[in-house]
Amino acid sequence: MEAVSHSRIRFLTAALLFIFGVIVLRLFWMQVVQHDKYSVLANNEQVRKLIVPANRGEIYALDMGKPVHLVLNEPVFTVFADPVIIDEPDEIVNSVRSIAGGTARSGLEKLVRAKPSRYQILATNVTRKQAKMLKDKNLTGLGFQPTTRRIYPEKELASQVLGFVNAEGKGQYGVESGLDKRLRGTDGLLQSVTDPNNVPLTIGKNNLRKPAINGENIVLTIDRNIQSYTEQALKHGMKKAGATFGSALVMNPQDGSVVAMANFPTYKPEEFTKVMDPAAFNNAIISSPYEPGSVMKTFTLATGIDRGVVTPESTYLNTDKITVDDRTIENAAKGQLGQVSMQTALNWSLNTGMVTIAQRLGDGNYINSRARNTMYSYLHDKFRLGKETGIDIAGEAAGYMVPPNSGEGNAVRYSNMSFGQGMNLTMLQVASGFSAMVNGGEYYSPRIVAGTVNEDGEYVAGEKPKSKGQVIKSATSSQMRKMIYDARRAFHADGDKKGYFVGGKTGTSQTLVNGKYDFGQTVGTYLGFGGDTAPKYVIMIQVSAPGKALEGNTHAMPIFTDISNWMIDYLQLRPRS
Amino acid sequence: MYSKRNSSNFSSRRQSNTMRRNQNSIAFVSSVKLGPVTHTVLVALMITVLGLIYLTQATKATSYDYQISSIDGKIAELTSEKTDLEVENARLTALNSVQDSSIAKEMTSPKSTSFVSE
Repeated sequence: MEAVSHSRIRFLTAALLFIFGVIVLRLFWMQVVQHDKYSVLANNEQVRKLIVPANRGEIYALDMGKPVHLVLNEPVFTVFADPVIIDEPDEIVNSVRSIAGGTARSGLEKLVRAKPSRYQILATNVTRKQAKMLKDKNLTGLGFQPTTRRIYPEKELASQVLGFVNAEGKGQYGVESGLDKRLRGTDGLLQSVTDPNNVPLTIGKNNLRKPAINGENIVLTIDRNIQSYTEQALKHGMKKAGATFGSALVMNPQDGSVVAMANFPTYKPEEFTKVMDPAAFNNAIISSPYEPGSVMKTFTLATGIDRGVVTPESTYLNTDKITVDDRTIENAAKGQLGQVSMQTALNWSLNTGMVTIAQRLGDGNYINSRARNTMYSYLHDKFRLGKETGIDIAGEAAGYMVPPNSGEGNAVRYSNMSFGQGMNLTMLQVASGFSAMVNGGEYYSPRIVAGTVNEDGEYVAGEKPKSKGQVIKSATSSQMRKMIYDARRAFHADGDKKGYFVGGKTGTSQTLVNGKYDFGQTVGTYLGFGGDTAPKYVIMIQVSAPGKALEGNTHAMPIFTDISNWMIDYLQLRPRS
Repeated sequence: MYSKRNSSNFSSRRQSNTMRRNQNSIAFVSSVKLGPVTHTVLVALMITVLGLIYLTQATKATSYDYQISSIDGKIAELTSEKTDLEVENARLTALNSVQDSSIAKEMTSPKSTSFVSE
């Protein structure tokens, strides 16, 4: 009996040892030999990688030097349903419809019953309060995904300057695209062991916490009040003129800041998906080069005066036409015959006067190579016409100015260029060059960014704008201011506030239709400055309409006058006397 | 499991005349002797206690994680509320809202402006 008992014990011992041996071997196999495999499996199960999204930077305008929001972010929710686990579909439909309102999708009844789908979006852009009301109902199968949307409290104000953010969170058009890298920031990463409720735990050795870097909050040079008034004045002026397209640009000539930039037609960035014609997204001031017409006469005069070939009092024999090679160029305004001064040529916008200056830049009788090189050097190299300004708004076009050494850069071309034809320039280029012409001769690159708002909400001004160089002599600039002032006083100063220094030049340019200039379809432009003792603003207006002959003096100039008078009050300028 | 021995039973090495320089002259021998099973149990107990200490610390750290998570949630909620207020403020102070306000509608444009010479 005892022998049997010992035998059983030995058997039991052996069996236990065997089982333990198997377990130990299995553990050794799993924990040592296949350590890496199971580590990966465990990590996949326990460790979660969470992207910490960076907040997109907000965009501000200035209001009397203080930043005010133009674009900001609002936390919103996407409400979704899991039809498989929903037990009260009708209650969900009623709740979402009554609380989310217009943000709810159509056909909710079908969406909540769309089995076997596990994810059906019921409403987007649901506000935090609405989401809380829905959460409080504790409806099974209803989920909330946090996200943000861009809010535009000023609605369509400066919409083509701003652009918008598409569904993928990428900036489109305007500064949203031009400054996308600065605005979007860098997403952070949280890698951690989590509990079943996804609460990150500190246990585990592979935890990683890389905080998100929010995008920069950008402050634009746009002044909210000037922008608003400019848009109103442009809209009103266009209506009076019967124009369908219009643009207005207001700059500070002393530092190149763009304080207002408006185009019509326009759109509401919040409703960019409803825009039928994508052309409305374009900022024509920077992206639609055109022949500016007679406003370019100021540049020709500045070149002639700076080179010393003419003065405001210089005269020439005006016969209302002038011949260059095989072409005869005529004045639009006829009748100022005989010896006329350059000031008269500017006042009456005489093409012959400008061609005469171009000739005098050469040998006095012909727009030779020296004349063409000089004109190109001033217009393209110094005033930077026909090349990108580098402003931080997406979609800037370079325009084009024919160089003198190209086949097309002949005397006829340069004679046309002297009065604003035969070149494609953007309004921004022209207004920036004009600013240099009247501010004393210093060229400042146009800029749209004034600074940033830091995390504490404080405005940090950007670097002080630096001059790109003296493009014309200070004395030339002074003479040009006087000439442009006198040109406006000659015909168009009746509507100006008395005692202020306001000058400007009209421009009416034919448009090319099927390769030929169409006199029945013209673009009206007005370019001028205003101020007290010195120019404080430069305003450029452009209006046009298909099939209509819109003119600088009758259609664009009143808009300039309206904005100019308002600017004098807004900037609280004192009259000179 | 253990045996006892009279602790007074010791022999002085000095008496044995085999002393070396700096050698301890008295050696104590414990009267309590522990067997191998006792050792094993004690070691197991020590490991258990150490394990419990580790678990306590880990649980304590984890409880902080829940506190952190809760505070993070509150921060996110407050930030969200702050953003909502900022949005509301921006809407209320937008030019359109200001221009449409009853106060703005009662304002009139100045008929003339005079400047004081300094």
